[in-house]
Amino acid sequence: MIRLLVIGGFLGAGKTTLVNRLLAHADRKIAVLVNDFGAVAVDAALIAAADATSITLANGCVCCSIGDDFGAALERVAAGKPELVIVEASGVADPWRIAQLALIEPGFELGPLVVLADAADLPRLQADRAVGDVVRGQLSYADIVVLTKTDIAGAALAGSRAAVAAIRPQAHVIEAGNLAASGGDVALADLDFAVPRARARFMAEAAHPFRTWTWRDARPFDRGALRGLLGSLPASVLRIKGFCGLDDDEGDWLLQYAAERWAFTRAGDAPERALVVIGTEAMDQPALEADFAAALR
Amino acid sequence: MTAVRVFKARRVVTMDPALPEATHVAVREGRILGAGGAELLGFYPGAAEDGRFADRVIVPGFVEGHCHAVEGMVWRLPYLGYFDRAMPAGGTAPGARTLAEALARLRSLEAALAPDQPLLVWGFDPIYYEGPRLHRRDLDAISPSRPIVVSHASGHIINVNSVVLERAGFSADSNLDGLVRDADGLTGELMGPPAMQRATRVAGGGGLMSRLDEEGLRAFARQASRVGITTATDLQRKLDAEMVAMMRRVTGAADFPVRLVAALGAREYSLADGVARAGELLGTGTGKLHFGIVKLTLDGSIQGFTGRLRWPGYHNGAANGMWYIAPSELEGIVEAYLRAGAQIHIHTNGDEASEAAIGALENVLARCPRPEHRTTLQHCQMADAAQFRRMAALGMAANLFVNHIYYWGEQHAALTAGPARAPRMNATATARREGVPVAIHSDAPVTPLGPLFSMWCAVNRLTSRGRVFGAGERLSVAAALHAVTLGPAWTLRLDHAVGSIAPGKFADFTVLEEDPFLVPPERLREIAVHATVLAGEVFHA
Ligand SMILES: [Zn+2]
Repeated sequence: MIRLLVIGGFLGAGKTTLVNRLLAHADRKIAVLVNDFGAVAVDAALIAAADATSITLANGCVCCSIGDDFGAALERVAAGKPELVIVEASGVADPWRIAQLALIEPGFELGPLVVLADAADLPRLQADRAVGDVVRGQLSYADIVVLTKTDIAGAALAGSRAAVAAIRPQAHVIEAGNLAASGGDVALADLDFAVPRARARFMAEAAHPFRTWTWRDARPFDRGALRGLLGSLPASVLRIKGFCGLDDDEGDWLLQYAAERWAFTRAGDAPERALVVIGTEAMDQPALEADFAAALR
Repeated sequence: MTAVRVFKARRVVTMDPALPEATHVAVREGRILGAGGAELLGFYPGAAEDGRFADRVIVPGFVEGHCHAVEGMVWRLPYLGYFDRAMPAGGTAPGARTLAEALARLRSLEAALAPDQPLLVWGFDPIYYEGPRLHRRDLDAISPSRPIVVSHASGHIINVNSVVLERAGFSADSNLDGLVRDADGLTGELMGPPAMQRATRVAGGGGLMSRLDEEGLRAFARQASRVGITTATDLQRKLDAEMVAMMRRVTGAADFPVRLVAALGAREYSLADGVARAGELLGTGTGKLHFGIVKLTLDGSIQGFTGRLRWPGYHNGAANGMWYIAPSELEGIVEAYLRAGAQIHIHTNGDEASEAAIGALENVLARCPRPEHRTTLQHCQMADAAQFRRMAALGMAANLFVNHIYYWGEQHAALTAGPARAPRMNATATARREGVPVAIHSDAPVTPLGPLFSMWCAVNRLTSRGRVFGAGERLSVAAALHAVTLGPAWTLRLDHAVGSIAPGKFADFTVLEEDPFLVPPERLREIAVHATVLAGEVFHA
């Protein structure tokens, strides 16, 4: 499975800066998909080859323009077998719309939805008559919110924290200072549910913000009951991912759930029937286990 | 070539206030010497009278200020719309008046296909059909195995059969945005680009209309010519070297019947590349191929609920639409293109988008004055008197989408703008009164090409159910004719060359079977186009 990381956020939040940094410091093979090819400013020394729709870097990473069909672009980059695909959503796009596609795109698994916000400007922007709804919409499904420019935000920082807490209380908030400054403020490892802590600067400072547990029961679910369960999960559940059986079918099924949207698709032979559940600290594992058990055939 | 030809007509409507009416028009070297009476023949020794239009009415060649050359390509797929629609190859594609009729047509199309071909159709318009919506089961009954994709007229929805759903990985167990469902799972109706693109791709129809080709451009021009257009726009195009070379070659042919204005689509480029390309293209046009316009798209469409509306928003409570360009970045984009010498056309459907465009231009002009900028808002469907006043003060033009009144007026009243605002949409009379140069358009292939039809819309303002929407916004026939000739010519910076019958201009005429000033206004759209004349050459409709 190729991991898909969607990075959204309004214009000026620092998306391109972050993407450029992640590319330059890549420790694995990354493919980046962007809308506006011209805005990508990869260090010229890193570029191995470039044409009208893609730039290949010396470290094996590639940066491609999305063009008219996002799905087709995903297929194209998947052919290069990257470990991770990063999508930089446009500044006015709804990143959640893009992220959902990964729930059914064969071969992809959806990482956390990362949304950047300019801490110096968020209080004003989210109340703006013309774009406030866009800004709030972008934040409203985020798993991780990166507040940028916290070093110069001054009094606006408190307002930005409050805005994120009001719009998306489940989100883990990273306060990232100046992304362009040296030191690699936000590393790829920070933008993950499950963190190899040594590499994650922010995780080292704070307790891990996400909770994870695994449902291991090979018995099949009742399909209707499982749909009902997925339709009524508490907001503290951010992701479910894994393989399960269904009562009306012999085979294994791949289930992916993210923020009230979900899909299960037929899987080949699953290594093991198990569902990984990721949520916030508020996630009530015993209650959820009871709900899962009740949905078994 | 110095021969003088004098066309004789029942009446020549010149749109030239110095001589509004004539019976003859003299032409030499593809340009107009002048209009007048029979005495013209005496002015030019050796002049030959051409009497073939003696019984007909000559008006300035129509200028379609907002359409797309893809009109010439959509016909490669069968049409499944509600309304009858003229085809570029000649003849009329009949509309399907009921869902049953539409399904019957799909059945016969399916029967004629080779086994491995998908069935793709366009123009489906279910808002006119009573009863249940098209369901995947209906399409499965036509073929359970061949992919079927039915694209809606709005461009924002498709219907597919179960094979396509299965290949796309969409099922009752995909609870994702954009997949319409009922108690039985998915209905096969898909909304929004991600789901639509995926389904079209797996059906085998991806990339079908990706790039304008020679035959498409010729078909577009034929279609335009047939409805009386002599200057047509392709208002959003990636103008790379290869495309420009193709356009130059095709438009340069003597039998290419229209002048083409190709607008650079800003969204096809990064800002720096777009500005550079716009600069390169300046001054490289010919008499039949014009550059210099940059098209920006600010919001979506009102009927697709993606246009940006001011308070109180969508009548049915739908969330406000989307920005394709953030208002805050618009100013920088407008300034960069203005400084590069381009003329800017901005797509704004909703009034919040128009407001943002006006505000951005106001700020830019304060530091970068361009007296002849002629920035034009395209569609500008919900602008009110106050916005038009600001536009007039800033020197902006409005190309209003009057065809919407007929095609979507009822839907706007019921769902989008609501009953109070819908009749005020496309406020042609208000725009004129407030001093804004006005054009009207089809946005083909969104609605059919046809300046006489657009005139009919502006003059009558009738919805598809026959209700008058905004009686106070109706235009006179003269004003409507202006809005399909000199009006759009001004927005294209071509008013010195086309749009009226005056000395020195191109000899571009539209020859009508009946006089638009004499037929009852409700019959305007039925007037037949007999021929067009481009640079003095006759093209029969
Ligand atoms: Zn258009």
